[in-house]
Amino acid sequence: MDGFFVIVIVFLLLNIALGLFRVWRGPKVADRLLTTQLFGTTGMAILLVLAGYLKELTLLNVAITFNVLAILLVIGLVQVWKNKKEETP
Amino acid sequence: MMIKEIITVILLVVGCFFFLAGTLGVLRFPDLFSRLHALTKADNLGLGFIAAGMAVYIASPWAALKIFFIWLFTLLASSTSCYLIARFQKEQNHSKNGKEGG
Amino acid sequence: MSVLIDIILAILAVYLALQSLLAPRLTQSVFLFFAFGLALALAWIRLGAVDVAITEAAIAAGFLGVLFLDALRDFSPRGSEKKENLEAVQNALPKNNTKSLLLPGMALMLGLGLFLLIALEAVWKIPDGGGLTAAAEALLPESGVEHPVTAVLLNFRAYDTWLEIGVILLGLLAVFAVGGIKIYRKPVMATQDPLLRQVILFFTPVLFLFGAFLLYIGKTGPGGAFQAAVLWGAIGILLHLGGRPVFSMIPRWLGQLLLTIGLGFFLILGFLFIAGGATLFEYPPAHAGVLILIVETMAAISIAAALTAIFANLNQMNEGPNEIESTN
Repeated sequence: MDGFFVIVIVFLLLNIALGLFRVWRGPKVADRLLTTQLFGTTGMAILLVLAGYLKELTLLNVAITFNVLAILLVIGLVQVWKNKKEETP
Repeated sequence: MMIKEIITVILLVVGCFFFLAGTLGVLRFPDLFSRLHALTKADNLGLGFIAAGMAVYIASPWAALKIFFIWLFTLLASSTSCYLIARFQKEQNHSKNGKEGG
Repeated sequence: MSVLIDIILAILAVYLALQSLLAPRLTQSVFLFFAFGLALALAWIRLGAVDVAITEAAIAAGFLGVLFLDALRDFSPRGSEKKENLEAVQNALPKNNTKSLLLPGMALMLGLGLFLLIALEAVWKIPDGGGLTAAAEALLPESGVEHPVTAVLLNFRAYDTWLEIGVILLGLLAVFAVGGIKIYRKPVMATQDPLLRQVILFFTPVLFLFGAFLLYIGKTGPGGAFQAAVLWGAIGILLHLGGRPVFSMIPRWLGQLLLTIGLGFFLILGFLFIAGGATLFEYPPAHAGVLILIVETMAAISIAAALTAIFANLNQMNEGPNEIESTN
């Protein structure tokens, strides 16, 4: 069972690594912001699986922290950049 | 014991499939709005499956409640983020078109 | 088997750290830095430091991310006079050629190499017993808490923590020194977007409750004042972004009280201990648990207020003078 958890975690980590291409490519700032959602959700999944794998339930608190703060970034960008013109790609 | 583990394995594999689908969508879809669509739907479903799988595996009511809340908050945050990002991009496109037209 | 996870995490962390410094565009850097925070948080968990992982997640995902996005707005081409100013400043600077960079570059390389050697040596010499872990755990019953990290931070090395709260306050003072104290002048103008308003209304109590929860479980497990403070600070930032700047809505003296209560309470407590015949920050073991919880709460309030004020003030500066004048 532990081996299976490791495979799942590695798979999810590779998912994050793949998502980095979108950070590189952009082309717009919103595309890059999208990847933070991807990283946040995938990171939470990794934390959940790790919590079962390491038998450490406090990891769920880390997941909740990620969870409640991931939206801050989106609201931050949307509100801070509200009146700004988009950069040219 | 065995049944519990089999259920966990199945749920986690299904969850991983949805995560892969979401990531591929973000990478391959042509524009922001379809990428948003792929990410916020597929990934949250994937997280739901993985959360369910781990709740079954850990099998403690307190942890299961926490995991359920994690998923619920993610659904809320993610769908709102999707809307906010889409609106942001729409406004940006709009102001750009307006500038070029005027 | 789990070494596979560690290898991927290590590669990912180093790659992201390098790329967030070297990426050609600033937006790439910022979002790569966010991914770096995630990789680092996972790495801390693999190292067994869940406390640090929570802090890393909270700081990188929340606070630094928003600060960077705010800074990014100013660095992107806006076609404004600000950019022209920047170019003028850049033109006024003496043009560096490669020759003049050679010497500082070599000095930097030498310094970094030496630092790396010292770091390697230090890592090599880590004692098997984990350093002072045994000493801390032996004194745990006297500390008033059950979690060794909290015991060290709030009791054995309370002096350090007290100074750290001061450092954050100093950061705010630096922001004030650069930008001036305009923070109390922003008008209240709630956002018109119904969904945004609802999500802020929903997440404010959630953040507050979860922060309080983290603060309380710091007694027995990973969690504590700093983690709670970032979550509470996120409330202030969310409200500011939603058009309800906290520091404009409360009286000025209350804001000042919130900012300084952590540092002040810690200090008064320390003097009371001295007056009672103990040394600075030597809690009486009978009441240590309660006192630590109160001190942590005060510290969390102060840090949260300072983080909010730092963001609010920087955001204010970036919005430029026009907006402030027109809304006054």
